[in-house]
Amino acid sequence: MIGMLITATISVTMIMVLLVVAGTFTWVERRLLAFVQERLGPNRVGPFGFLQWVADTVKILTKEDRPPPGADPGAYYLAPAVGATPILAGFGVVVFGDGLTLAAVDVGVMFLLGMMGLTVYAVVLGAWASHSRYALMGGMRAAAQMLAYEAFLGLSLMGVVMLAGSLSMTAIVEAQRDVWFVVLQPLGAALFCIAGVAAAHRLPFDLPESENDLVAGYLTEYSGMSFGLFFLGEYLAVLLVSALAVTLFFGGWHGPFLPGAVWFGLKTGVIAVVFVWIRATLPRPRYDQLLNFAWKIALPLALLNLLLTGVIVVARSAS
Amino acid sequence: MSAAGVVSDLRARFGPAVLAEQVTRDSFPTLWIATDAAPAVHRFLKHEIEQPFRMLADLWAIDETARQHRDGQPPSGVTVASHLISHDRNADIRLKVPLEADYPRAQSIAGVFPNAEWYEREAFDMFGVEFVGRPHHLRILLPPGWEGHPMRKDQPGRATERAPFNMTAALFDAKEHALAANPQAFGLPTQRDGVELMILNYGPHSMATHGVFRVVLALDGEEIVAARPDIGFHHRGAEKMAERQNWHSFLPYTDRVDYLGGVMGELPYLQAVEKLCGITVPDRAMMVRVMLSEFFRIMNHLLFYGTMAQDTGAMSPVFYMFTDREHAYRVIEAITGARMHPCFFRIGGLSMDLPVGWEQMVRDFLDWMPSRLDDYDGMVLRNEIFRARTVGVAEYDTAVALDWGVTGPGLRATGLGWDLRKARPYCGFENFEFDVPVGVRGDCFDRTKVRVEEMRQSLRIIRQCVDNMPAGPIKADHPLTTPPPRERMLHDIESMIHHFVGTSWGPVVPVGEATGQVETVRGLTQFSLISDGETASYRTRIRTPSFPHLQMISAVAPGMMVADLVAYLGSIDYVMSDVDR
Amino acid sequence: MTRPNAVHALLYLVVTLLALAVSFFALGAAFAAVLLIMIYAGAIVVLFVFVVMTLPTAPEAMARERAALNRAWPLPAIMSVLVIAPFLFGLGEVAPGIAAPVSAQAVGRLLFGPWALAIELASLLLLAGLIGVRHIGRSDRVRGDRR
Repeated sequence: MIGMLITATISVTMIMVLLVVAGTFTWVERRLLAFVQERLGPNRVGPFGFLQWVADTVKILTKEDRPPPGADPGAYYLAPAVGATPILAGFGVVVFGDGLTLAAVDVGVMFLLGMMGLTVYAVVLGAWASHSRYALMGGMRAAAQMLAYEAFLGLSLMGVVMLAGSLSMTAIVEAQRDVWFVVLQPLGAALFCIAGVAAAHRLPFDLPESENDLVAGYLTEYSGMSFGLFFLGEYLAVLLVSALAVTLFFGGWHGPFLPGAVWFGLKTGVIAVVFVWIRATLPRPRYDQLLNFAWKIALPLALLNLLLTGVIVVARSAS
Repeated sequence: MSAAGVVSDLRARFGPAVLAEQVTRDSFPTLWIATDAAPAVHRFLKHEIEQPFRMLADLWAIDETARQHRDGQPPSGVTVASHLISHDRNADIRLKVPLEADYPRAQSIAGVFPNAEWYEREAFDMFGVEFVGRPHHLRILLPPGWEGHPMRKDQPGRATERAPFNMTAALFDAKEHALAANPQAFGLPTQRDGVELMILNYGPHSMATHGVFRVVLALDGEEIVAARPDIGFHHRGAEKMAERQNWHSFLPYTDRVDYLGGVMGELPYLQAVEKLCGITVPDRAMMVRVMLSEFFRIMNHLLFYGTMAQDTGAMSPVFYMFTDREHAYRVIEAITGARMHPCFFRIGGLSMDLPVGWEQMVRDFLDWMPSRLDDYDGMVLRNEIFRARTVGVAEYDTAVALDWGVTGPGLRATGLGWDLRKARPYCGFENFEFDVPVGVRGDCFDRTKVRVEEMRQSLRIIRQCVDNMPAGPIKADHPLTTPPPRERMLHDIESMIHHFVGTSWGPVVPVGEATGQVETVRGLTQFSLISDGETASYRTRIRTPSFPHLQMISAVAPGMMVADLVAYLGSIDYVMSDVDR
Repeated sequence: MTRPNAVHALLYLVVTLLALAVSFFALGAAFAAVLLIMIYAGAIVVLFVFVVMTLPTAPEAMARERAALNRAWPLPAIMSVLVIAPFLFGLGEVAPGIAAPVSAQAVGRLLFGPWALAIELASLLLLAGLIGVRHIGRSDRVRGDRR
């Protein structure tokens, strides 16, 4: 019983910390985008505008939030929660340092993939419940995109799993003590990063919201904290994908001098910043181009990567 | 310009159907033709002669009922005028058809020139002209429930001349309902091959439509099966205002017809007025006009470039380009004292001379810009995703472009290097060295590329302006120059009187008709003015390039994806005030 | 249990699948649980929702569905009782706690060892299904080149 209480306390604390980190990340992103784009960005609230995200949270919490006419209220309010919850659950299996994890699940990597796959319900459900044609189109894009990218997201990291011989995140990090898997699996790492951007719905793969042609896609009819939760989910997803990338390809908590958790945080931060950088740089491909790329280029490449890795692993173990 | 032979051809072919030839203050031949002969004459000019007139540049109506001076013109209550351009001859011809005043009925020429469709709707909307051969008459600029045809001379010119407007709840509901995207009203299909189509009301508040403009789409999945553009949300009645403002005080309105073109909107109006008055503008004024116009061309194209990239999803370029625009605005502010709508030109010259130190500011900008443009090439034009989104998207060839009345970069992207600055140099453009960039495929990418290259050419032109700026007066020595040079006004009573009359009532422009044409940032902008010897214009027709460009959407859009439509709309580079006026 | 609105019904299906996954977890079959979430909840039902959400929810269709459901309650009710009864009676007998987890490696050895033939047969079946879908899904309509 006491063990469960401790776990619950740690979980709640972690959720709080994650929310703060996600909030901070929105500020980092806005300042960084502004820096890249010859602007200033939010610089009024608090030192360097750092408290902007707090002000935004207060604003978003006090905003009117009601479903549009013709909407399905139950699904409308459920959707944002479905967006954020699986991502928070996903953090439960992330290994932040040597032994620093909430649940050392044997199949941690797959659990994460499953949780990220569930977020598609948020988008599809929100789109359907909004009773808007723009939202519906966003939802259709999201469903098609998720199916396409989930497929090779999973396959791209199976090479790593083969090399480490385990689906456990701890074991995968341990296997990178000498050399990071990004060196052994460059193709897998590249494919994983592409699919990761798509899984987090970030530009250039933010077609479900694509503000240039679909107004805001599935988010069109959302406001207030329902909108906020969707956004929270998105920023947490970026952090989760970054954390997963660090775990799988960039040596997890390994690093000289500093404690493991600090290294892990630093690496995750760097990758999250790369996400922002990509967003500032690239235009957005068209829906059909995206799907073509996923099914006709990325998926075969991921399979090829898997095949080659399999051959090498088998050959090595035979010799 | 060789349109002279055409007049005799027409007389030989149609005989008595050619009623008269009118003398105007510009060089374009103007023929009055019989009402019933209009389609045949237009077809003859478009299809049956050598070097045909392939483009209908404009079609507009004139209410003649209150006009005093109509010497040498056949009797007419309402006149429908059309303006044709032959790019092969580099010549224009204007045709006029007399109609009765109470129940004007004309023959539709939409069967010959597809872009006459919207122009005829506008003539119906504004003057009540009905066109035989059209299945229905719909309003285009005014809302569906409007009563009367406001450009008729018996209609009020100001809101204060009518009963106070009161928006009741019932009226509000009626207006809302009138805006519903009803597929029947737009003539949209609801099915294709048994698949039900989704009707999507795109705009008028979508960010993709760049202003209050909407397209009603019939979609199969994400593929556009049919598209119906709908305009009029930005209509301010600039043409009607021109009849209530004096010749001088209408100038600020011309800035706002294309609100991104800045001073360039004043040029075609002033050209027409100066032709009517017989004013020759001094060299220095002309060169300043050229320089400022090219500045605004760069600024508009920068905005286009940024939003075009934005429309394909790239969020950063537009911010860089706003930095550049700010640099340019600093120069504009220093010279004119204003930013977007300087209203700097005057009838017969400029409002004031260039400030001390302007050369250095312009040179600084000329040094700043080129390297930035090179950066953008890598960021946008050479970007793989941008190319994938624009190459081959919304392609049309020169013939289609001419059919729909496309001018400017949209026409040059198809490979036809038609630029008024080269073809019919005005303001001394014949003395400048610059190239006319052309595209090959006529797709979104070529339209972007042509504009980027035009910016480089504009920089060249501005540099030549700085290097060769002549000294001399900035206003013409002419009684109708408004306001006349101040030092002369203080010196002799004759100028004093002109100054007094010109600033209190406005100048009285001599009777006549004239057209001013300018290659503005979007294409051919043309002001056709009629003076009846008053202090205000009798009829001001503003032909803007964006109007036909939007009409073309219904022909180009089918088959595209929704995201392509956004790229296409971006590549048209329209401004809604330029469409609706 | 089902609902007149098909999307709601599908949501219940998702919840059922997730609950099933938790049951697998509790039984120590973490691998099976995760697969269930990934494949069924994450992909297959998404497709269903994808199709169903594009269907119009006209009021008359809803009324028809509701009328049909009103008559169809006995069978689901009996099944619910059959499911809930053992749960209630067995509550005190099974010790709460998580069974010893089966590792993914063990599952893999089992699948590609004794059950390799079954796996190959299943994959053949899927291949046949794939080809069938490709054949049926081919559009007969002649469309313009979409670039």
